[in-house]
Amino acid sequence: MSYLEIASVNKIYGGKVHAVKALDLAIGQGEIVALLGSSGCGKTSTLRMIAGFEEVSSGRISLGGQEVHRLPPGRRGVAMAFEGYSLYPPLTLRENIAFALKGEKLAASEVAARVEEVAHLVEITAILDRYPSSVSGGQQQRASLARALIRRAALHLLDEPMGQLEPQLRALLRGRIKHFIRERGLTAILVTHDQTEANALADRIAVMENGELQQFDTPAALKERPANLFTGTFIGEPPMNVFDAEPQDSGGRLAFRLGEGASLDYDAGAFPGALRERLAAGRGITLGVRPHAVRIAEGGLTAQVAANQWLGDQTHISAGFAGGTIVSVRHDRADLRQGDRIPIAIAPADLHIFDRATGRAISHGGQLA
Amino acid sequence: MTHQSPLERLLRGLALVLVVCFFIFPILWIVLMSFQTNETILRSPPSVVFRPTVSNYAAIISGHLDSNVASMGIEFMRNLMNSVILSAGSVALSLVLGVPAAYAFARHKFRGSEDIAFTLLSFRFAPPLLVLLPLTLYFQQIGLADTYLGLIWVYQLICLPLILWIVRGYFEDISPDIEHAYRIAGHSWFSTFCRISLPLAGPGIAAAALLAFIFAWNNFVFALVLASADKQPVTVGALAFVTASGIQYGQIAAAVVLSILPVLALALYAQRYLVEGLSLGAVKG
Amino acid sequence: MKAIRIENLTKTYKGQAVLDGVSLEVPEGGTLALFGASGAGKTVLLRCIAGAVEPDAGRILLGGEDVTGLPPEARGIGMAFQNFALFPHMSAEANIASPLEARRSSRAQILDGVGRVARLLKIDHVLGHHPKALSNGQKQRTALARALVAEPDVLLLDDPLRNVDAKLRFEMRLELPRLLADRGATVIYVTQDYKEAMAIGQSIAVLDEGRIAQIGTPEDIYLRPASIGIARLFGEPVINLLDVIPERDERGVHVRLSDQKLYLAPGYEAAVGRAAVIGLRPEALHFAEHGIPVEIEAETPFNEKTVTLTQTKRGRELFVSRPAGTPAPSEGSARISAAAENAILFDRLTGQRIVPVLHAREAAA
Repeated sequence: MSYLEIASVNKIYGGKVHAVKALDLAIGQGEIVALLGSSGCGKTSTLRMIAGFEEVSSGRISLGGQEVHRLPPGRRGVAMAFEGYSLYPPLTLRENIAFALKGEKLAASEVAARVEEVAHLVEITAILDRYPSSVSGGQQQRASLARALIRRAALHLLDEPMGQLEPQLRALLRGRIKHFIRERGLTAILVTHDQTEANALADRIAVMENGELQQFDTPAALKERPANLFTGTFIGEPPMNVFDAEPQDSGGRLAFRLGEGASLDYDAGAFPGALRERLAAGRGITLGVRPHAVRIAEGGLTAQVAANQWLGDQTHISAGFAGGTIVSVRHDRADLRQGDRIPIAIAPADLHIFDRATGRAISHGGQLA
Repeated sequence: MTHQSPLERLLRGLALVLVVCFFIFPILWIVLMSFQTNETILRSPPSVVFRPTVSNYAAIISGHLDSNVASMGIEFMRNLMNSVILSAGSVALSLVLGVPAAYAFARHKFRGSEDIAFTLLSFRFAPPLLVLLPLTLYFQQIGLADTYLGLIWVYQLICLPLILWIVRGYFEDISPDIEHAYRIAGHSWFSTFCRISLPLAGPGIAAAALLAFIFAWNNFVFALVLASADKQPVTVGALAFVTASGIQYGQIAAAVVLSILPVLALALYAQRYLVEGLSLGAVKG
Repeated sequence: MKAIRIENLTKTYKGQAVLDGVSLEVPEGGTLALFGASGAGKTVLLRCIAGAVEPDAGRILLGGEDVTGLPPEARGIGMAFQNFALFPHMSAEANIASPLEARRSSRAQILDGVGRVARLLKIDHVLGHHPKALSNGQKQRTALARALVAEPDVLLLDDPLRNVDAKLRFEMRLELPRLLADRGATVIYVTQDYKEAMAIGQSIAVLDEGRIAQIGTPEDIYLRPASIGIARLFGEPVINLLDVIPERDERGVHVRLSDQKLYLAPGYEAAVGRAAVIGLRPEALHFAEHGIPVEIEAETPFNEKTVTLTQTKRGRELFVSRPAGTPAPSEGSARISAAAENAILFDRLTGQRIVPVLHAREAAA
């Protein structure tokens, strides 16, 4: 049995809005899990049900082997960092953070030491004695994060914990907080709409859309083996290139006919027999290719450069290709201008194949999904 | 929590019914009274079972008040007409003056603008009697006493601050960017005011106008002092029912019902637009 | 087409200078990205140009003509707002048509103009909708269409991609430069996202507390930032900054990092012995056999890259980034080396970049 178990949980608001649909999620002790999705996907409702601020409409939630979904929030043993900070205005940041330890009956020196430790972690040591109203939103958010992290709770819930921080600090805090949680063996659930944050912090990510869990897997697996077209195009920045295609198997060669007469032609040996049989069934497919796997190499199909954008550490090239647009990412600068013709090559190992009708993945890099 | 047990729902419903009864009771009672004769009204203990009569309404509409002692003429219908003219006229004037002023106060912060706006609001704080004596004297000198125009002018003390302050808030709620966008598109400020600001503040203007109408309708003191019989509104006209031979409760009730009706009708009619307008909601983008 | 020229623009609110002597120039048909943190004065500057805010001092010239003091409607500008500023009581079509109506175009001209720009921005199917029935992406495109429809000479875009989702933002970032080039307008594009600034601007003006901190091509700003502050704003993860004092030996000028010598590009003789800060971009660092010994704290994937947070023996934190999928140690001890030619040196006291001075002989070599 897993540490936190969410079993067939539904959340229906006012008998109409089905915010969370039959959610099953099992999280191990010491894991960091991100709930990722765009606004209205049900991730925040899920978090609030775990915390106890919302009741489940149906289903069960258990934590450490004990059913908790009927308990009030205070008795579930969870610590939470709120998106809206919710610091107590009449207390200084130091008192706010220390307040979280009230229930634990610790010595004053122990409390002080722990406040210093988390304050140092989120870089608010210098402003600990100021009041929430006199510090910036980003600083309040960091204090709220510190207040959640200082506790040794059974479960730490972080709701968009870094949304207000400046990007420079965000990158640093991600690394540090991951290190902090890992070192203490804490279990944490993070809600975010920012995949960079989810990727950076989480061991596993639950991708949600329309109240449904799309996929629950490690960041690497989400990227390499997306379960469906939604996850495939949602995860990854820049997003995955997709093209509708018709497979054509002529014994030795396997061709994917794209729009405007373009065709990706491969040695059929690169694809296992089972996959070729699936493709031969003749259902429409959608091809997906990650931008970093789109190579500019001799002998490829012709594409016409539409934009070449150098971002300092990366170059994003978009090109008109097979009636659509294809995006390629490189880590060096490219001397290409708008209108240039470039050859595009895609290795069979980088192809993701999806069923066009259902969106479900058929294969990743030649391996059946 | 979002869940409710059946008991909770029952108790909540019961509480709502009690509150509604408490507030609706006086109106209900007066409607009942208006269909009774003075004798049935005054009998003790009171009862809700009676034989309804429309004689009160007939007397008021025909203008003949028959008491058990004497018969006299009253001009209640004329009073009602006066109320409509005075209230509608003063609200119209207030809108013409107040809406542009509200816009100016909302959009242009100039030296002393807050002070001027507050001074206008302070008219609402002053007791009416404070201004009445000097006003009466002035009005008699310049010939405005006992004219519709004079009364409408004085009524601005009631309507103008109300409209100014409510509508100003609505104008402030419109993102200035929306107006900037329209002007950058090439339209003059006046066309921006007419095509963007006015329609977007429309629900607020309607609400303020309705409120001002009700306040003007209910005014008593100004009209009592400054108007003679033929310009008096219903609030003052109702005094005629207090006669030497007693108070005609039935007829007062009928008069009250009749005087509530126009305002009630207006409110019900405007409510639809108020709700619709307030839920336009996309103002903030 | 009209060039934009701003001279010494100053605006003060409640005694606080929001714009403090801003001067800049955008050539005809050029695109300037105006970049800065929130509160830097970007939006106020844009509003001054549009005529929505009156500057306290300074001049605004469009195509050589002084427009300071003219009302917004007389300036011939197209503008898209960050919050879209759509007219909520009008359909998308009426919204887009408003600049054409102001020009007293005929009904047919208006229909034609709105139709063309709507097709270009792929919103022709939602023209009848009111703003509240549009998705954020559609709102943003409607606002853009309204700014573009009258083919203004000057286009002001106030962070138009701020409120749209990541995927659409990326698509628009690739699409916009071409769209703007096709229109031929002179553009000022306000953004808080350094990638947008680099991708869309032919030049970038960095605004900091109401002043222009640096103005130059994306290359200038990324590779030769004028100050530590600017270097920190461009690049993700943030540039590594370490206090150093340059020294020299027979091989040339170098800095010491954890007792390892890192030789700098030529031209830094003058920096020897000065208190300095060296800036090393995460992508300029890589794991190697030899180099600075570090402990790996955490590894995080990041936009087709892998970023490792490491700590040196002296407790300084360093980011190292590499293309995703390339092998590297992910925990324990490791050593990193730096590509010194990409190092940027700053004066520790002023925070300004130390510009290398190349002597004629070295430059020729």
